[in-house]
Amino acid sequence: MSVADDRAASAGQSQTRSPRVLSVARAKAQTQAEAWGGHDSLVQLRPDLHDVVDGGPPKPLRGLMMILLVLMAGSAIGIGSAALVIQGERPFTITSLGPWTANPYAGTDKADPYSVAIYTRSARVPLAQGEGLALTAYDDSSGRPLSPDCTYEISGTTPTARLWTLTAANDKGDLAATMAGRTSLASPGLLRNEDGSFQITASRTPSSGNWLPLANSPDVLEGLSFTFRLYDAPVTTGASLEGAEMPDIRRLGCR
Amino acid sequence: MSIHLPSRLRWGAAFVATLSLAVVVHILVVLAIPREVTHSAYTDAARFGPDRQFNLLPAVEAGAEPLPGLDPAMKHAACRYQLDDGPVLFTAAVPVPFWSIGLFNATGEVVYSLNNRTAGSDILSLLLITPQQLSILRENPPEDLDKLIVIETAATQGFALLRAFSPSPAKDLEVDLAMKTAFCGRFE
Repeated sequence: MSVADDRAASAGQSQTRSPRVLSVARAKAQTQAEAWGGHDSLVQLRPDLHDVVDGGPPKPLRGLMMILLVLMAGSAIGIGSAALVIQGERPFTITSLGPWTANPYAGTDKADPYSVAIYTRSARVPLAQGEGLALTAYDDSSGRPLSPDCTYEISGTTPTARLWTLTAANDKGDLAATMAGRTSLASPGLLRNEDGSFQITASRTPSSGNWLPLANSPDVLEGLSFTFRLYDAPVTTGASLEGAEMPDIRRLGCR
Repeated sequence: MSIHLPSRLRWGAAFVATLSLAVVVHILVVLAIPREVTHSAYTDAARFGPDRQFNLLPAVEAGAEPLPGLDPAMKHAACRYQLDDGPVLFTAAVPVPFWSIGLFNATGEVVYSLNNRTAGSDILSLLLITPQQLSILRENPPEDLDKLIVIETAATQGFALLRAFSPSPAKDLEVDLAMKTAFCGRFE
């Protein structure tokens, strides 16, 4: 027991508060009140310096509330952030080429925990390394998120592959009904320039040349993603993608 | 005795505690999801037909995707297998410029994959076997064992997904037939 507590006790008050230098002043105030002739009410009216200066003594109820608040807020933020990442259904990017992202390890035993959670939760079947590599774009080449309301030109070349397909879907990878009935375009039968490069127009309404149909009645909130699936491509691992070239995505206009 | 801190420090401690708890909960949730999922690609693949045979999947179309994440430009056939009843043999001859097969375990992880170029021939013949079954088989090896691609796995449940690119609608029927008659079953 400290000196201050002893003094408070001697002042005839039951003191359970922790020792503070300031309670000396309080003890003085009490002796003054006694000098006033037992007007104890004055002591109660007087603001307690102890409380004003350092937030007061520990109050068991407030401490409990604080712990509950921390528990609730912590759990909510933890669960919420996990749900946000998992329900976004975008596996972590291991490699990227311009706007195109890939995670060659998704769906294998080398996958990161987020990809594992996303793939098992959505029960999706990955494209295995011996089959090919999938590269997905969620943004155009200037960094703006893809929108199903816009028209895009995808032009350039892809890394060597025996076959590739290009698919338009929403940002979770779900297909949407299109005017043409198809949602993809494949490398055989593609119109190419003399140097092997190509231009593809992705739009809702038919376009001349290589046309990738987009959603007929687009839901802007669902977003848009383009996926190149390169089948039997030498670039199946992240390292071999270094220096490879992927097409640019240019926004031509929006409705 | 309870800890007595100035209020600013106390709010700081609460903030740090909240954040640490959030991080722990976040990690636990992400790690727990794979254990808590109610359906997997393996269970979903049961819809398409009996186990231990290749079942042709319906075309991948908007709103009616047989399994999520499939390529709408490809044709797919799936075969669910269990190795408890013995090794499983896969054979297929699909007349297309490109086909590939992926073997996945019950949680959807890739066990093995190859395509028609890496298979070394136009005909697929692949034997999936557990290490115990393989050691038994080696004691009295069948003649054609060296012609097979033999894959050892400890995962006794899983499914195979055969993908084929049909070059033109005119060949669709032929490709469908080849995928339906692809073999997935008992190795004698």
